[in-house]
Amino acid sequence: MFSISKDYAPPFKMIEPFFKFGAIAYLISIISFLFFNVDVSLLDLKVVGWVHMFLLSFVMIVIFGAMAQLIPVALEIGHYNVDYYKPIFLTLSIGSVLMVLGFWINSSLLPYGGAIVLVSMVLFLYETLKTLKKTDSNTLTVRCIKGGNIFLTVAIVIGFLMALSISLGFNIDFNRFLPIHIVLVLVGYVTITVIGMSMILLPMFGLAHGYDGSDVELSFKILVGSIILFSIFRLLAWNMLSYIAIVSMLVGIGLYLRQLLTLYKVRARKINDIWYMHIYTAFISLAAVVVLVLLWLLFDSDAILKTALWLFLIGFFVFVINGHLIKIIPFLVWFERFSPLVGKKKVPMLHEMLPSKEVDISFWLSLAGLVSGALGLLYSSDTLFKGGVSLLVFGALFMLKTVNFILDFKPEE
Amino acid sequence: MCSVTKEQVYDELRTIIDPEVGFNLVEMGLIYDVEVDDSCNVVITMTLSTKACPLHQMIHQWVEDAPKRIDEVNEVTANIVWEPEWNISMAEDNVKQALGSL
Repeated sequence: MFSISKDYAPPFKMIEPFFKFGAIAYLISIISFLFFNVDVSLLDLKVVGWVHMFLLSFVMIVIFGAMAQLIPVALEIGHYNVDYYKPIFLTLSIGSVLMVLGFWINSSLLPYGGAIVLVSMVLFLYETLKTLKKTDSNTLTVRCIKGGNIFLTVAIVIGFLMALSISLGFNIDFNRFLPIHIVLVLVGYVTITVIGMSMILLPMFGLAHGYDGSDVELSFKILVGSIILFSIFRLLAWNMLSYIAIVSMLVGIGLYLRQLLTLYKVRARKINDIWYMHIYTAFISLAAVVVLVLLWLLFDSDAILKTALWLFLIGFFVFVINGHLIKIIPFLVWFERFSPLVGKKKVPMLHEMLPSKEVDISFWLSLAGLVSGALGLLYSSDTLFKGGVSLLVFGALFMLKTVNFILDFKPEE
Repeated sequence: MCSVTKEQVYDELRTIIDPEVGFNLVEMGLIYDVEVDDSCNVVITMTLSTKACPLHQMIHQWVEDAPKRIDEVNEVTANIVWEPEWNISMAEDNVKQALGSL
């Protein structure tokens, strides 16, 4: 008999702010895109500030909130202490706002914001590692959570040192450390976490069984190896070898995509609902990123690099996150408010808790915005880029409306 | 001698609906077996569509509670097993059709 955790769902009130804050931060970060032109330098502090707002206030905060729910599901054990998520939210939300203000307005705020974000990350890492210690399980998902968190630790230490150097003026070689920081966060933490959780969530939602998982196993090993090698090569300024490590990462991502294709073929749930549409967009974007990064390595084109980053951040991250928000939040609300009513009165199905019109509008506007924005960056057209961003703004507004609708969904009196 | 039938137990189990997929556990093919002994104790052998099901504990509880709505039933035990692993071929045709698998 399989042992059953009593802590599969964290207290709803504790997790709710992560999603509310994330949806608002997503809207603000998309609106702020309107103030950028396609020829902006990627090293401009305005861009760096935007990236931190997007990654910390939206991506990380939603991932952390989702992990409060997903870690027990993935590991089949309860949290070490789920109460840690209260200070994690508080410090991450305050720290990320201070960091963005530090990049945009007053650099003296950077070390304070950076230090508070560091505290948040340390709390998250501590809680996650203590939870991991409770299990002997060594599934791919467990290894992804472990690996991702180790990469995140190194990334935030490097990030904090860079934040200190900007505000205090001491010398640090950004050419060496910035690429390592970027790769550790984007690939080492976010992508590896997505890979780990997707191997639980995609078969669960798609009802996929009896498939061969060797592609994703190999993908994980290649990614971990190439991230470590990339970091060492950049540190030693062996730039040519670091490009080989990037190609190796692309091979790892390619294998992961092939694994997804296998899952797609064996899934029992073949109806293409709005969750599937988000997932298709996310992974087609990721496939396009692989191709574009290869082209960038060959042609060293700024426009290609910007398009790849756009598709990675907006195409992959946004769609994979928003797609899962419309799965995870209804479940948490249902679990909190409706599960005690089962057998006593009629309870809604999870899909009935979604405002289907708003979700559809959000998806299609965002998809159109993604494509237009990508073409704008590729062909250096401000008109196409800003047109795309405008569509994304409306998509984000509808997503915020959707999140609020689900969070307010209550049983009829 | 107990007059409770397997069919009565299955009927009660048909009232338990997975909120994610919208089908009851019986038509999903998640109930592998039901045994009713002479003392009206019920033993249910069942599975879930995934080991990572976040409603694991709750569904288990619902399954143990449902047959108790039949007057004569005494103890109910639900055993969750993972062999054979559930797959879509175990579901009824209406489920397969709704999911696009038929």
